Amino acid sequence: MMSTLNSMDVQTDEIVQSETPHEAAAQSAKKYLIFISDDLHFGVDAKYVVEILNNHAITPLPMTPNYVCGIFNMRGQIIPVLDIRQKLGKAPASAPLMVVLTYDGTLVGIMVDSVDQMIEIPDSALLTMPSKNSQRLVSGMCTLPDGSGTMLILDCEQLLGHD
Amino acid sequence: MLEMYIYEANTLLEQLEAIVLDAEQLNTFSEDNVNEIFRIMHTIKGSSAMMEFDSLATIAHRIEDMFFIIRDKTIDVVPEEDRPTLFDLVFQAVDFFRTEIAKVEAGQSPDTVIDTFLANINDFILKISGEAPKDAAPAAPAAAPAAESAPAAPASSDVPAPLPSEDGMADFPYELRIFFDEGCGMENLRAFMLVTSVRDFCAESEFLFEPADVENNPSTADQVAEQGFLIRFANSENRDKAISVVRGAGSVRSYQPHDFHPAPAASEKPAEAQAPAASTASAAPKHAAPAAAPAASAASQAQRQKESLISVNLSKLDQLSAIVGEIVITESMVTCSPDLKGLHLDAFAKSARQLRKLTDELQDISMSLRMVPVSNTFQKMNRIVRDMCKKLNKSAKLTMIGEDTEVDKTIVDGIGDTIMHMIRNSMDHGIEETEAERVAAGKDPVGEILLSAQDTGSEVIIQIKDDGQGVNEDVVLKKAIKNGIASADRDYTHKEILNFLMMPGFSTNTDVTEFSGRGVGMDVVKKSVEGLGGTVSIESEFGHGMTTTLRIPLTMAIMDGMEVSVGGSIFTIPIHNIRQSFKMSEADILHDPVDGEMIHIMDEYFPIIRAKDFYALPEGADTIDDGILLWLSSGEHSYCLFVDELLGEQQIVVKPLPSYVNNFDIKDYGITGCSILGDGNISIILDVRNLYNAACGN
Repeated sequence: MMSTLNSMDVQTDEIVQSETPHEAAAQSAKKYLIFISDDLHFGVDAKYVVEILNNHAITPLPMTPNYVCGIFNMRGQIIPVLDIRQKLGKAPASAPLMVVLTYDGTLVGIMVDSVDQMIEIPDSALLTMPSKNSQRLVSGMCTLPDGSGTMLILDCEQLLGHD
Repeated sequence: MLEMYIYEANTLLEQLEAIVLDAEQLNTFSEDNVNEIFRIMHTIKGSSAMMEFDSLATIAHRIEDMFFIIRDKTIDVVPEEDRPTLFDLVFQAVDFFRTEIAKVEAGQSPDTVIDTFLANINDFILKISGEAPKDAAPAAPAAAPAAESAPAAPASSDVPAPLPSEDGMADFPYELRIFFDEGCGMENLRAFMLVTSVRDFCAESEFLFEPADVENNPSTADQVAEQGFLIRFANSENRDKAISVVRGAGSVRSYQPHDFHPAPAASEKPAEAQAPAASTASAAPKHAAPAAAPAASAASQAQRQKESLISVNLSKLDQLSAIVGEIVITESMVTCSPDLKGLHLDAFAKSARQLRKLTDELQDISMSLRMVPVSNTFQKMNRIVRDMCKKLNKSAKLTMIGEDTEVDKTIVDGIGDTIMHMIRNSMDHGIEETEAERVAAGKDPVGEILLSAQDTGSEVIIQIKDDGQGVNEDVVLKKAIKNGIASADRDYTHKEILNFLMMPGFSTNTDVTEFSGRGVGMDVVKKSVEGLGGTVSIESEFGHGMTTTLRIPLTMAIMDGMEVSVGGSIFTIPIHNIRQSFKMSEADILHDPVDGEMIHIMDEYFPIIRAKDFYALPEGADTIDDGILLWLSSGEHSYCLFVDELLGEQQIVVKPLPSYVNNFDIKDYGITGCSILGDGNISIILDVRNLYNAACGN
């Protein structure tokens, strides 16, 4: 785990440098925050991101589905916290960071393993998911410009929807 | 603008209704009443005309005319036998305004067809005015006195000119001529301000002023500047008081008292006293007056005490309470910060105490902002009792106790319909059909409905009590059996039978009347009261009436709770649901065949719900000896909740759960909200009733 994180940090620096000229050329592009959960790179539109927190006390809420970790007090606002691993049907694992998103007036926190970088990606680079099955929580994908892998775009609407 | 109009009109209509209800009791209008009605109608007329609701303005105008005649010739002008017609007419007017204003509120335009109603009023006016000229309207220029902002109110143009009145001068011999500072500007308005101050101690009928249209005719400014402003009084004491007012007023250059001796000058047209000025602006000078003129305050006790009020959007208050709640929490986060542990900080502790005191006060005040007296809701019931008495041909009176009790605004709004429903029930089913029946039962022929409110500190108790025939339990039981709610081969207790009344679809009256018995009954009452976090209970003795008791929390935003822990989780239980807590040992527990647990307290058996098991919590005590039992009750449900530990009682700010998690229906499992603790952690507020329903079935 630690080694992954460290290597990511190194990459971040490289990417930021290589990105700068690219940014100016990009037309109709969006900024994405890339975070890592269960070794997958997820990107979420930066306009939905409120903040990233690392020391937080989540109060578990009984009688909710397992992917609802509980509720959390963010400066007086009570926000629900979700575990996307469990939402995707994977085994739970402790995740040290929380990304707070706001979508359609709803605040929600999601547990992530680490946060990677902010990146600007032109809309034209986005691809749809090849198989229907893999579309859960994901609305598209793209290859990261630095060649470090593939980013999956998190679909906030699906995330907040109820099954 | 429209919002203000609707708010103001509704407030005035409530006042009007209250006055007329009182007056009807006495079967006469006092002078004060007439003046007050006159003022109300005048205001409604003015603001309606400004909003261009012509039909409303017209009706208000005619009612104003009607009361002008009554004021002029005293109430004796209306013969005893015509008074009910008069009262009905005013009530009809109130209803008319209400419906029209409701339409306006809903975004529709008000009715323009008002001929029948108008004709009724006109007929009555003709009747009481005798040979008086048909359009004998008072010189009451409509609309706001704040002529700067609304220079020419549309209504003022079509109001007929002042009535010529020959006796004016001789009756008002004490003159006071006032000159304003040269070039001070707006002399007409300054003059009108004086008139307003004079009204505080002097009845409308006891003084006149000239020019009469200073209120909204800016051209009179020049006249006032040149010739001075003339006020005539019927007696010299009032003039003396006025002099002290004038002395205190700004921009007055000089004044000349002068006693009028019958002499020519009769060709002048003395103005009729104006109705108190229209619109809200009139309130301001009235309140300012006592400060400017101490003499006025002494004489004004006859005037009804008016509270100085502003209307504020409820959402702003909600925001305020939310922020204050945050401050209270942050305050304890700061003063109880773990960083301070073990440090001796005398000055800090002192300041922290002061801060706590202030935040407590702040919290109390912000809570009190949302509190309104129940009197408005109660007053409405007078009207219902009156109308139903007429329709059902019964005689009953409504007695109110504790209408000053203050309750959270949302709760007041929520209980209005409930109380109305209960009053209707009492009138319809409770009070006997005929007076003879009542006399035969040894009761006062006039039925009595007692509506009371009482504040116990944590909740408000509202009782609706009638001295009617009470609940016939045999009939109720038969009907319950017929409807399949009860089974025929079982004995029911007194309390159980009364509870059938609150089951859905139960209504003992077989006939549907206009007022009650539509198949929706007490169950709706019960539901809406429970929605507010309260309970309903019925007591009745056959032949001696029925009492319905509503217990409702004073506010839903803040409550006293007991914090309990189960493993690492903290729950808050409303204090008023807790009856007792005790330690028990495993040996005291009784088991039922389906693995349920019970306990024997005070000759009764109560089920035990283990919070850890019910909520599937990872940690917590498993043996009864290690934890504590809380005996809880809500309405008719009573049970014991097993938790690890009591952490202490605390006043908490209730926060709703995020809507995302509410969608999982956790409310049905007794999780109703949450609260932020002093250390920033969250406790979960439990709903004792829903927890029981979920755990013990129902």
